[in-house]
Amino acid sequence: MPTSSVENPESSQKAPRPEAAKSTLPQPGRPVPSRAYPGALIVVEGTDGSGKSTQLYLLKRWLEIGGYRLHFTEWNSSPLVKSATRRGKQRRLLTPTTFSLLHAADFADRCERQIMPLLQGDYLVLADRYVYTAFARDAARGCPPRWLRNLYRFAPVPDITFYFRAPLDVAVHRILSGRPKLKYYEAGMDLGLSYDRSESFRLFQARILEEYDKMVDSDNFVVLDGTLPVNKLQKQMRDIVASKIDLKRFAPHAPEVE
Amino acid sequence: MPEQEKDKEKEKASAAPTATEQPVAPGQPAPATKVPAAEEEASQYFFGEPLVGFDPSEITGSLIVIEGMDGSGRSTQIALLQEWLESEGFAVQTSGLRRSNLVGRDIDQLLAKNAVTRLTLSLMYATDFFDQVEHRILPALRAGTVVLADRFIFTLIARGVVRGINRDYISGLYAMALRPHLTFWLNVRPETAFAREFKKAQAISYWEAGRDMSLSHDLYWSFIRYQTMIKREFEVMAKRHSFIELDGEASVSAVNKQLRQRIGERLGIRATKYAPSSALQHLWR
Repeated sequence: MPTSSVENPESSQKAPRPEAAKSTLPQPGRPVPSRAYPGALIVVEGTDGSGKSTQLYLLKRWLEIGGYRLHFTEWNSSPLVKSATRRGKQRRLLTPTTFSLLHAADFADRCERQIMPLLQGDYLVLADRYVYTAFARDAARGCPPRWLRNLYRFAPVPDITFYFRAPLDVAVHRILSGRPKLKYYEAGMDLGLSYDRSESFRLFQARILEEYDKMVDSDNFVVLDGTLPVNKLQKQMRDIVASKIDLKRFAPHAPEVE
Repeated sequence: MPEQEKDKEKEKASAAPTATEQPVAPGQPAPATKVPAAEEEASQYFFGEPLVGFDPSEITGSLIVIEGMDGSGRSTQIALLQEWLESEGFAVQTSGLRRSNLVGRDIDQLLAKNAVTRLTLSLMYATDFFDQVEHRILPALRAGTVVLADRFIFTLIARGVVRGINRDYISGLYAMALRPHLTFWLNVRPETAFAREFKKAQAISYWEAGRDMSLSHDLYWSFIRYQTMIKREFEVMAKRHSFIELDGEASVSAVNKQLRQRIGERLGIRATKYAPSSALQHLWR
């Protein structure tokens, strides 16, 4: 039962998704349309400091409190690939190509072992950053866009992609004021844009923002204004989720008929 | 897409079969950046896309690839070729799978644990490959070195494809791989390879036998079936990428002679006579 403090997400009306064929498992490397499985995938994207993680956390809390079946997954978090990524970053071994491939390996591991099985098992999957992060960030590093698109071709297409858009200054200020020191790759120091880390970060983020903006239409981003107050933004997000996804399907028990 | 560009795409696809040809997901493909001249030049060096920051004018060395299944005699031949080339005054660099500083050991661990799925493993191998390209192979080629590669993208593509990974996908992954100057394929029958491998270690490893694919509970049949599948993939690629196919069943010295001839032509070495030093004598059977 959802508590009174949260809105009831079941109030909206939406036709349930047709039952997916359960026997046809996707072939790795082939695009996975969102109708190939019964679950649903919600993704947040945006530059560092756009507020996306806070918002996804609040969305997750809302759904958790409501008792929905969900799984939360974060970019760059697979334990299998972690040591390699850490070593590569510490020793600055990563080039744009290997940086990109390692993150793809990380994503593939989560995709094959969590995201796809859970979507097939009728879960609501929430992802903090998704393939669009790679498209934006790695393209900003100079990787060919066509190659990047192919690299992540195995990824299921999200049901909703929220793009939290904040002006460069706002986002950069949020990050710089809260962090003692930016890391080498985080600041995009490998691009040689500037010797000053903060300045490099700013230039790098500007490129990423530009790449994100290019995808708004082609990838059906739902654009949200990252400068709005947190609770207002969250209200918008919950409304959109409730209108686009048949949340009843993910409720713990089917509503009892009396 | 305008007609002209479409034609160019087609042309590229036939010239470099590894270029991505199909629409990609999620969403539409991002608009390709327009650098036609550079792209054309790059296709001579790469299968599809150029590596970030690559300058072709710097390449003065030769990239020579030896492919073939386990037990085909690759490493023996590479050891002999290295000695021969060094005696001829050429600097030699070698490369091979899982030898990168970045993820070589991580892959060893993943294989040992057998906790990894096929796609992740493929991508880890791709990372390992490109780390070696960028940190070992390219610097060597810039310095005029002869690079002897013990296996290359072809093995990685074959392994992925027989495990059900989409062929266009996995070849697209290697679109930024350097095109070798020469690619040799030491072709042997799986039965011969089995005997050689068994003799070497008195055992056949889990991965060599493709046991992750559940082909057979019988180790021998698992090995034979798996290596036959790989071999079929090689037959397809041999035509596409003009492999120089050598009979890996022939004696070490006979195979080596053929290798020396072709490499000698490429490097302008006229006399290709060679007999191994005492250190490598044991390989010469």
